[in-house]
Amino acid sequence: MKILVAVKQVAALEEDFEIRADGKDVDEDFMLYDLNEWDDYSLEEAMKIKESSDVDVEVVVVSVGPDRVDESLRKCLAKGADRAIRVWDDSAEGSDAIVVGRILTEVIKKEAPDMVFAGVQSSDQAYASTGISVASYLNWPHAAVVADLQYKPGDNKAVVRRELEGGMLQEVEINCPAVLTIQLGINKPRYASLRGIKQAATKPIEEVALGELSLSADDVGAGKSMSRVRRMYVPEKGRATMIEGTLAEQAAKIIQIINEFKGA
Amino acid sequence: MSVLSMRYGKKQHLLSEMDMPDSTDALVKLAIKAGDPYVAAAVHELATGISKRQLEMQILESRRTALSLARWEHTPSSVLAALSNIGDGAVDIRLDKNPNTSSEVLSTLYEDASNKRNLGLTRLIARHRNSEAGILKGIVLFEDDEESLLALSKNPAAGPEVLASLAERFAGSELAVALNKNIAQNISASPDLLARIYAVSDFHTRAAIISHANCPGALITEATASDEPLIMRVLAKDKTVAPDVLLKYAESDDAGVRCGVAANAAMPLSLISHLLGDSSELVRREIASRRDLQVEHIAVLMADQDGWVRQRLARNTAVPLQVLASLAADENSDVRRAVARNAGCPVELLEILAADKDDWVRAAVAYQHNSPQRLLVGLAGNDDVDVLSGVANNPNTPQQILEKLVASEEADVRRGVILNKAASRNTLLPLLEDPYYLHRILMVANPSMHELDKWNLREDPDYQVRFSVYRWAVEKIAPINTRYIVGNEVIRRRRV
Repeated sequence: MKILVAVKQVAALEEDFEIRADGKDVDEDFMLYDLNEWDDYSLEEAMKIKESSDVDVEVVVVSVGPDRVDESLRKCLAKGADRAIRVWDDSAEGSDAIVVGRILTEVIKKEAPDMVFAGVQSSDQAYASTGISVASYLNWPHAAVVADLQYKPGDNKAVVRRELEGGMLQEVEINCPAVLTIQLGINKPRYASLRGIKQAATKPIEEVALGELSLSADDVGAGKSMSRVRRMYVPEKGRATMIEGTLAEQAAKIIQIINEFKGA
Repeated sequence: MSVLSMRYGKKQHLLSEMDMPDSTDALVKLAIKAGDPYVAAAVHELATGISKRQLEMQILESRRTALSLARWEHTPSSVLAALSNIGDGAVDIRLDKNPNTSSEVLSTLYEDASNKRNLGLTRLIARHRNSEAGILKGIVLFEDDEESLLALSKNPAAGPEVLASLAERFAGSELAVALNKNIAQNISASPDLLARIYAVSDFHTRAAIISHANCPGALITEATASDEPLIMRVLAKDKTVAPDVLLKYAESDDAGVRCGVAANAAMPLSLISHLLGDSSELVRREIASRRDLQVEHIAVLMADQDGWVRQRLARNTAVPLQVLASLAADENSDVRRAVARNAGCPVELLEILAADKDDWVRAAVAYQHNSPQRLLVGLAGNDDVDVLSGVANNPNTPQQILEKLVASEEADVRRGVILNKAASRNTLLPLLEDPYYLHRILMVANPSMHELDKWNLREDPDYQVRFSVYRWAVEKIAPINTRYIVGNEVIRRRRV
C-alpha cells in the first residue's frame, strides 16, 4: 500500500522586500522558504494512516522544484516519510499549477500509489489547483478541502468530510484510489524528532529528470502554461489612516469610527 | 554533501568528543571551523584580526544571510555593525529597525541617510531607542519631515532637552498640536515642558499630562477644577488627590470616573459602602479587588449578580477563608478557578477544587504553589493538557511524576517541566532531544543542566539552538563584567 503526498516549498516574505528586475516576482534574496503549511497536514494524515495500519504503508513525498527544495523534503523524511522524490529541470521555471500537476501526474503513474494527498493550496501562490489538476490528468475521483478522513489501507472507498462555507461540513463517500486535497486543522502535525532529522540527513532524495517521466522541456515552463505572470507589484496604499493623538483620544476616535460605521 | 549530513556524519562524531573550549581563542577557532553564519555571529564580538575577518566572511557569505542577520532580533550589535559596512540599502533598513543596533551604527546610518535625503531611514532612526541624543537633536533642528519629527516625539531616547527643543522649534505651528500630544505621553518629558504644553493644549493632551509620572503637583491641583470626564477619570485614580475631590468624583455621572475612585487606594473608607451598590458592574469589580474591604462589604459583593465581581473577590488575598470556601462552591467556574488561583488559598479548599468538574479549575489547582504533593500526584492522572501543564510547572511535583511528564506528547506539558525550577538534571536529560527547537533553546538556558549537556547541543539541526549554545559559551568564557553608560546606551565590556 502506498500513499503519495505532493508537497511544495513555499516562500514567505519579509516586511521589506524588493521586486525582481523583470518585475514578475520578488527578489529571491527576500524570500524565506519553508514547507507549505497545508502539506504538513497532508503528510501528517498519511503518517497517521501508516502508523495505524496493520499492513505496510509506504509514504512517498514528491515535489517539483530546484535544489533548495531538498530542505523541505528532508523535513518530510524527518517526520517519517519513507521516500522523497524531487523533479526538476531549469526549463520547468515559470510552470503554472496545471503544468506542475502534469509533472506530478507522470510521477504518480510511475509510482502507482493507492492514494494521493495534496494541500488544499499553497500559501504563496494560492491557486488551489495543483491537486485538482492531478486528479484531472489521472482521471481519478477527487475531493477538495478535506477536513476529516476515514480510510483504511486496502479499502476501495473512503469517507471524507469537506469543509464548506458557513461552517458546514459535507460528508462524501469517494472511490479509491483518489486525490484528496487536505485542509488545515484536520490533524495536529508533529515536530520532527532529532533522531528523525539525523536519519533524514542520510536518506537519499531521488532526483528525477523530465526525460525519465516521458516529458521534455517543451512540455513544461511558462511557454506551456495556460497562465503567465505579467507583473507583480505592490498596489498603492488604500485609505488606511493612522489614528494619532493621546491614547484616550485614539480610543475615542475608534469608538467614533465604529459608531459611524454602524450608523449610530 | 549537505550541511545537515556533514553535521550528522562521521565528522560530527569527532566534534562531539570535544570538550567545551576554555578560552575565547579556542571558541572562535571552533566557530570558524563550524562554517555556520549563525555560529559566527554568536562569537563575532570576541574575535579580532584575521579571525574576525574569517567570521565576517561567513556572516556575509550571501546576501540572504546578511539580510536575515540584519533583521534577526538576536543578532549581536557587533555583527550589526559589521553589516552596516557593506553598503546595502535593504540591509540598512533592517539595521535601522533592529533593536540591537548600536548608537554608533545608527549615527553612521543617519549621516548617510541625511546625505542621500533618505527619509525612510531618517524616520526609522528618529524612532530607534538606541539613537543618540545628538543625532535626535540634529533631526529636531534640521529635518522638516513631519513623520520623522512625530516619530521622534514618541521616542524616550530623545531625553528632556531634545524634546524641549522640538516643542520650542514648532511652538505655535500646526504640527505642534500632534507633537505635544506625543510629548505629553513621552516618559522623558520634563515637568517644566509638561507644564508649558499643558497651558496651550486641549483636554486630551491635558489628561495625558496629568497621568504622566513627571507631572508637577500644581497642575494636578489646577486640574481638579475641571469637569471634563476624561480628566476626572485620570484624577480619580491619583492617590495625591484630596479626599473631598474623590467624594465629589464618587457622585459623577461618568462610570469611568467612579471606577477610578473605586480603584484608588487613598479613597476614604466611607465611600466603599456607597460604591458597593453602584449601578455599573465595572465600579463594583474595582471595589471587589480592594484590600481594605470589611466583612459587611464582602457579604454584599459575594451576592453580586456579576460573575466578574465575585471572581475579583475570589482572587483578593485579603478575603477571609470562610468567604473563599463559599466562593469555591460558586456556580460560575471562573469564580471557583479564581479561588484556586488565590495565593492565600488553603490546602483544604484546593483538595475540593482538585476534584472540580471543570478542567480549567483543576488546572488552577495544578499551578497553585500551595498544592501539596499528594494533590499533584492525583492531578497527574488527568488527561487534560492544561491540568498536566500545571502539574509539570509546579515545584512541589515529585520527580517521578515529572519524569513521566517529560514523555508527554503535548509540547506545553514538556515545556512545563523545563520551566520547573525543581526539575532535576536527570529528569530533564531526555528533553535535550525534544523535537521542539524552542525547548532545546530553553534547555541551554536551564541552570540544572551541566555544561557539557549544553555544549553537546552545538551542532543541533536548528540554527537558533546552535546560536544560543555559542552565545551561552561566550557568556561563560567571557562574561560581561563592565557596564557603563555613554549617551543613552549601556555599553557592555567582556572580560577576554
